[in-house]
Amino acid sequence: MLIRPDAEDLRVISYYLGRVLLVTAAFVTLPLTWALIGREWAPAASFVLTAGAFALVGALAAARRPAEPRLDWSHGMVVVALTWLVVPALGSLPLALSGHFADPLDAYFDAMSGLTSTGATLIGDLDHLAPSVNFWRHLLHFMGGQGIVLAAVSVFAGGVGLSLFYGEGREERFLPSVRATGRFIWWAAVVHLLFGVALLGSVAYFTLGFTPARSLFHGLLIFFSSFDTGGFTPQSTSVGYYHSALFEAATMVFMLAGAMSFGLHYALWRGRRRLQSLRDLETRSLAVTLALTMGLLMVGLVSLGLYRSTGSLARQGLFHAVSAHTSSGFTTVPSTEMREWGGLAFAGVALAMFIGGMASSTAGGLKAIRVGLVARVLKDQVKRVLLPERAVISHVYQQGGRQRLTPQAAQAALLVALLFVALCLLGTVVALGYGYPLQEALFESVSASANGGLSVGIYSPDMPVLLQVTYILQMWLGRLEFVAVFALIGFIVTAVRGR
Amino acid sequence: MRRRTLALIALLAPALLVAAPAGAEAGAPRPYSSSVSVPDLLADPSAYSGATVVVRGELVGDFGRRPDGTVWTQLNGDSYAEAPLLAGGRLTGPNRGIGVRFAADLWPGFDRPGGYRLRGPLVEVTGIWRYHDAARTGESYLDATGVRLLAEPVVLEEPMRSTPLVLGLGLLGAAAAVGLATRRRRDT
Repeated sequence: MLIRPDAEDLRVISYYLGRVLLVTAAFVTLPLTWALIGREWAPAASFVLTAGAFALVGALAAARRPAEPRLDWSHGMVVVALTWLVVPALGSLPLALSGHFADPLDAYFDAMSGLTSTGATLIGDLDHLAPSVNFWRHLLHFMGGQGIVLAAVSVFAGGVGLSLFYGEGREERFLPSVRATGRFIWWAAVVHLLFGVALLGSVAYFTLGFTPARSLFHGLLIFFSSFDTGGFTPQSTSVGYYHSALFEAATMVFMLAGAMSFGLHYALWRGRRRLQSLRDLETRSLAVTLALTMGLLMVGLVSLGLYRSTGSLARQGLFHAVSAHTSSGFTTVPSTEMREWGGLAFAGVALAMFIGGMASSTAGGLKAIRVGLVARVLKDQVKRVLLPERAVISHVYQQGGRQRLTPQAAQAALLVALLFVALCLLGTVVALGYGYPLQEALFESVSASANGGLSVGIYSPDMPVLLQVTYILQMWLGRLEFVAVFALIGFIVTAVRGR
Repeated sequence: MRRRTLALIALLAPALLVAAPAGAEAGAPRPYSSSVSVPDLLADPSAYSGATVVVRGELVGDFGRRPDGTVWTQLNGDSYAEAPLLAGGRLTGPNRGIGVRFAADLWPGFDRPGGYRLRGPLVEVTGIWRYHDAARTGESYLDATGVRLLAEPVVLEEPMRSTPLVLGLGLLGAAAAVGLATRRRRDT
C-alpha cells in the first residue's frame, strides 16, 4: 500500500528547498554587483527581480520550520530534484529579460543547460550580450558544477546533508562528514578559481594581446566553463575565438581537473595515496577510454581528410577528445563543420561524451567508474566461460583501496548504464520523429544526456517544442543520475494515489 | 604499463602516419574569388580554401594585438552586424563569425570592437581564406590583405526597464517581511 506523504513531509521538503533558494538568492548578488559596477542598468534591474524572486520563494518555502528538521533519504532526493527544476526557472529571468531569447522556454533551456553544466545554448546575438548577463550564464555553470545544493549543505548542519549530497549525483564522501566534504569541494574550487583566472588571464593578456580588463573577463568566464565542464563561452565562436594553441592547452588543464573526482583531488592535494589513486580503476578507466576515443576521433578525421598535417590533427583531435570526454563541450570548429564529422570521428566524439568524466566530479556522462565496473563484470564473465569450472576468479579491484566487486555494485553499474542508454535513445527517437537524420539525432541526444553540450546544429531556437522539452529533461535526468528524479516521481505518485 | 603505452602508440600511429604525408597537399592560394557572406563561407568552408575572398561584416569581441605584431579579431556577418538587438534588430538565431588576422601594417587602428551597447566597425575585408591552415595547426581564419571601413562604430542605448526593478524591490521587501515574521513567530 502506498502511504501518502503528510503535511510534515511537505514541510520538511519545502523548508530545505527554501533554504537552498535563499542561498541561490545570495549568488545573484554577484552579477548584480557586476552590472552596477559596469553601469548596466537594465541587466541590473533584471538581477534585482531575480534576487527578489529567489528570496521571496525561498522565504515563503522556509517559513514553517518542520517539527523534526532532519531530512530522510527520500525527502533529500525530492529536494534535490525540485531544486534543479526551480533554480533554472527563476535563474532564467535575466536571460529572458535580456531580449536575447525568442521565448521563456529558450531562456529556461539555457538556464538548465548552464546549471547542469551542459553548455548547449539557444542564445541569439551573444556577441552583443551584456557582460553581467554573460557572467550569470557562466556562474550557473559554477553553481551547478560544484553543486548548488552542496553549497547549501556546507551552510547547514552536517547531519541533514547526506541525501542532498548523493542526490546531486555525488557518490564519494572522502571526509568524515558531508559538511566537511562539501567545504573541501568549494575550497578546492576557489583555489582552482584563483589559479585558473591568473593562468587563463595571463595567456589572454600576454599572448593574445587582450586588454587587462578583457583578459580577466575571458579568464574568469572560461575558467567557470572549463573547470565545471560546462561549455558556455563569452563569444559565439567558442574556444575557436582565441586562435591559440596555448589558450586551448590551458583550458584543457582545467577541463581535465574538472573531470577528476574531488576524492582524487583530495588524495593528490593531501599527498596520501597519490600513486595508489593513479592505479584506481576509475583513473585507469578514464585514461584508457580517453586514449581509445581520441584514437577513434583522429583516425576518423584522417579518413575524412580534414587536416593536412600531423600537428593539425594532434591539436584538433586532442582538444575535441578532451572536450567531449570531460563533457565540457568546447569546440574550435563551427557546428556546420562538426556535422560533417561522420564515421569514426563521430563515433569517437559521441562515445567520449557518453562516457564522460569521473564520478563525484563536475563532469557528466555515464562516468568512468561505471564503465570500469561494467568492463570488469564482462571480463569476469568471459573468464568464467574460458577457465576451468573449479578456477577461482578474483573479484577484487583497486578503488581507494582494495574493493570487492559485489553483485550489488555490478548490478547498480549495469542498471545506470542501461538507464543512460535508454535516456539517449529517448531524445534520439523524438528527434527522428521530427525528421532529423539518425546521426545528428543521436549526437545531440547523447550530448544532452551526458551534459556534453557539443552540437551539430539541432539545438536552435527553431527546434520543435517537444524536442526542446525532451532535451531539457535529458539534461536534468543526466545530471542528477536518475535517483533523485525517480524519488520525485515516486513522491508525486504516492501523493496522488497513496492513502 | 609499458605494454599499454605501446598499445596506445600502435593505436595512434596509423592515424599519424596517414596524416603526415597529407601535409604536402597543402596547395597554393587559389585565384581571386568574388564576395561571399560569412554564413555561405561557413556552410562550405573547404570550397573557398586558399581563395581570396571579400567578406563584409562587423568586427566584434576584442582586437588582440599579439607579440608578433598581428591583430586578431572576429568578423560577424549575420543580421546583427547591421542591426544589433539594441538597435531594433530581430532575433535570427546565433551569431555567424569567422576569425580574421591582420598584419601589423594593414591594421587600420580601430579602437573599439563591437559588443554590449556598441555596434562595432562595419568593414569589408579582402583576404585569403585559410582553411585548416597547417601552419597554424589546423585553424581556419581569414588572412586579411585589405580592409575598407563601411561604417563607423555606433554607440547604442539600452533603455532602463523600471518594471523589473520595481517588481524586484517589491519582492525583496516582501521576502524581508516574511523572514522577519518567521523569526518573530519562532521567538515567541
